[in-house]
Amino acid sequence: MKITGLIIAVLTGALLIYATADFPAWGDPASPASTHVSPRYIEKTIEETAVPNMVTSVLADYRGYDTMFETTVIFSAGVACFLLLRIFRREEPEERLYRHVLTGVTIHVKKGGKLPPSDDFERIDTEWTPHDLIIKTMCRLLIPFIQLFALYVIAHGHHSPGGGFQGGVMLGASVIVLAMSQDLRTAVRRLREKVDALLCATGVFIYAGTGALCLLLGADFLNYRALAPLLNVDPIMARSHGIFIVEIGVGIAVMATMIWIYSNVSSSGKYDEGL
Amino acid sequence: MNIIVTLLLFAGLFFFTGGAVGILRFPDFYSRLHPAGKLDTLGSLLAITALALFNLHHFSIGTLLTSIKIILILVFVFLASPTATHAIVDAGVRAGLAPWVKGEERR
Repeated sequence: MKITGLIIAVLTGALLIYATADFPAWGDPASPASTHVSPRYIEKTIEETAVPNMVTSVLADYRGYDTMFETTVIFSAGVACFLLLRIFRREEPEERLYRHVLTGVTIHVKKGGKLPPSDDFERIDTEWTPHDLIIKTMCRLLIPFIQLFALYVIAHGHHSPGGGFQGGVMLGASVIVLAMSQDLRTAVRRLREKVDALLCATGVFIYAGTGALCLLLGADFLNYRALAPLLNVDPIMARSHGIFIVEIGVGIAVMATMIWIYSNVSSSGKYDEGL
Repeated sequence: MNIIVTLLLFAGLFFFTGGAVGILRFPDFYSRLHPAGKLDTLGSLLAITALALFNLHHFSIGTLLTSIKIILILVFVFLASPTATHAIVDAGVRAGLAPWVKGEERR
């Protein structure tokens, strides 16, 4: 069996390597990829969409369908993780541990016991959970900058490398950093699971909804020209703005999916302390 | 200017090389993190400062802005890298890895 597998792998690999000999030379201007559509995108992007970064215009406008279904794939990945991993049984442990943040004293709360009403306690999961002041403080300091930069990356995708996918990943990473530096409960308290799942769907909905809106306004699906009367600009700027709306949708979907997958994987679907 | 930039770059490369050798040569997890942390802070301090200075060659508001951005990268690396090293050491301690002592075999 192993030998059959090896033979198949080697044969497929050899075929693929053999096929690379037929590739056009790297950067060849006469290759099929750079003779048909590429020159058109390069020459007409500014004229037709008013977006200086032609990668963005190809991604979200000329090939909008592709990107829409990419976003849907990301959404499906999040839903799949949720359906496979999430455990809904709520088994509260016999005894819960809280730490008084100011003094570091650990308090055991027996089942049914109540905590004095105060914000000075944090829930911990084992008695030896160390107090990571350095990591917590640094993350608290860095997270706003990460988020600010993420918003910049989303908004600046028209002019520089960036856009919804990259900015969304950064936004998601900022929340994941919070979940790693404190614990998953803290992060989930900030962004509830339901809200996260809703945001995930909202992102895809914004993208598909923009397309459908174009359809309702009498143009093709995802033809942002049709949005011109709504946005009160000329059709070319409408394409630029349409790309931006779609990028925001992508950003929201990617962010929420990252957080969703992280919380499910890191806590094996139990949504407790996490890693 | 060019001489300063070259000197800084070479000093940065020196520390990077030293750090890389250290990562390979030190005997255990914790001591290997020591050169890794050094390399990330001092090595990148020198190398990135050199890049920021080199960028100021044609002085204008634009290049100054780019240099400030490069220095900002440095600031964030400076904040994040020691914290990351600390977190990794902490994870090692929490997982129960004992530090290496003299006479033991390297691992």
